[in-house]
Amino acid sequence: MNILSSSSKRRPRDIVALLARWLLGGLFIYLGLNKVFHPVEFLTFLRQQLMVTNPSLSGMIAATVPWLEVLYGLVLFTGIALDAAAVLARWWLGCVFIYMGLHKALPHPEFFLKLVRQYDMVTDPLFLNSIGAALPWFEVYCGLLLVCGIAIRGSALMLAAMLVPFSLVVLNRALTIAAVSGKAFCAVKFDCGCGAGEVFICHKLVENTVLLLLTSWLLSGRGRQLCLRYDLFREQAPALAQPEPVMPPAT
Amino acid sequence: MLQEGALVAVIGAALAFAANALSPHGLLLTKNYFPGTSVTLPAPVGVVTNVLGASAAKTNSPGELLSARFRAEGLQLADSNRVVQFFQDPRREQDGVIFIDARDEEHFQVGHIPGAYHFDRFHPESYLTNVLQVCLTAQEIVFYCNGGECDDSEHAAIMLRDSLAIPKEKLFVYGGGITEWATNGLPIELGPRNSGQLTNLVKSATGNKVGQASRLPAPAGQTGDSKP
Repeated sequence: MNILSSSSKRRPRDIVALLARWLLGGLFIYLGLNKVFHPVEFLTFLRQQLMVTNPSLSGMIAATVPWLEVLYGLVLFTGIALDAAAVLARWWLGCVFIYMGLHKALPHPEFFLKLVRQYDMVTDPLFLNSIGAALPWFEVYCGLLLVCGIAIRGSALMLAAMLVPFSLVVLNRALTIAAVSGKAFCAVKFDCGCGAGEVFICHKLVENTVLLLLTSWLLSGRGRQLCLRYDLFREQAPALAQPEPVMPPAT
Repeated sequence: MLQEGALVAVIGAALAFAANALSPHGLLLTKNYFPGTSVTLPAPVGVVTNVLGASAAKTNSPGELLSARFRAEGLQLADSNRVVQFFQDPRREQDGVIFIDARDEEHFQVGHIPGAYHFDRFHPESYLTNVLQVCLTAQEIVFYCNGGECDDSEHAAIMLRDSLAIPKEKLFVYGGGITEWATNGLPIELGPRNSGQLTNLVKSATGNKVGQASRLPAPAGQTGDSKP
């Protein structure tokens, strides 16, 4: 993606990719700094949602993770070591979906079922129960595929297919609550069923945008390194960053 | 990529349903966990919801809307005064009036209305035997959960009414739930039913522990025969 130095060869797709990468980097920097400036909220999240009850461990995580996010954002922003960053993105995305899925599926899947029902999208009990029963485990499955590096683009496609409609219904519900309660949009806070408890809607939408951009990044073909089987239907493709062998000059 | 995505989806769906079936906490696909009508989101004031229909056109307050919704489902809404009357009713000692907590085990153990029976509607097989006999013999049954947007008490009442053929006149749902109960400073029992561990206990001048129940307002026509 060396389009800055070769401006004459810029294509619209490259420009969109560059802007998306800058946006993603900026959002990571924002999320990291947000945790730096609101450490209490982050510590509460660690203890209540991630169950990190050890004070030393939670303190260490709270002190390091925000800066790692900022650093990752800077890496994306500058375009340094993008291949390594893409592998990290794949692992991080996989871990997030494994955690979110397990949090919904165990030990009280009925909580997630109630949250799905609150959206009033599905009335048929069989269909509603199917979503409540299968979706959390499907997230775990897709997360495992990403972590292990199997069928990356297919998994990323499925994650995008879940993220886009989910974000839209969350947005719709937040708008309804804001209209009913008379609150400002960003002051709306509710449990959207994402597996992280009650969240402020604006923050949730930023997080979903980050997840969606990372998913799109994987869809574009990044994150091939350290994969068990990147593509199910083709032979193992060579890594993008791997330089082509230089032929010796003929003598 | 689409082909791979379709394969991931098919295998994933099969594995997800299998995981749900194998999980001890898995959901039953054919069971209706939400019997009755389906209103969940709060409607703007004065807006008629499709479930309540025109009958609710002139109702505005949340309490009236809730009451109308319960009536449509054959249930009766009990406000905090009514619930206190039930709690102080002497028939409660002989299970003539009973409270049923419709929340999950974890919340029940953290605190419930003293003497309340526990019925988690998502796992009725584990709790039905506890409440079966008393529900059939009780004259009045009060269901509650957390209050607010929680509708577990409502669905638990409908589930028991339909499965045990309990007359609807006996069924009440406490709209404010345990949140309102605790906010009003009423006693909370910790641990299992009839554990005797009450919160909000204050020590009287004589050194005897006196429950907050002693602060309950006496219902009309009754003396203050409170029972913590």
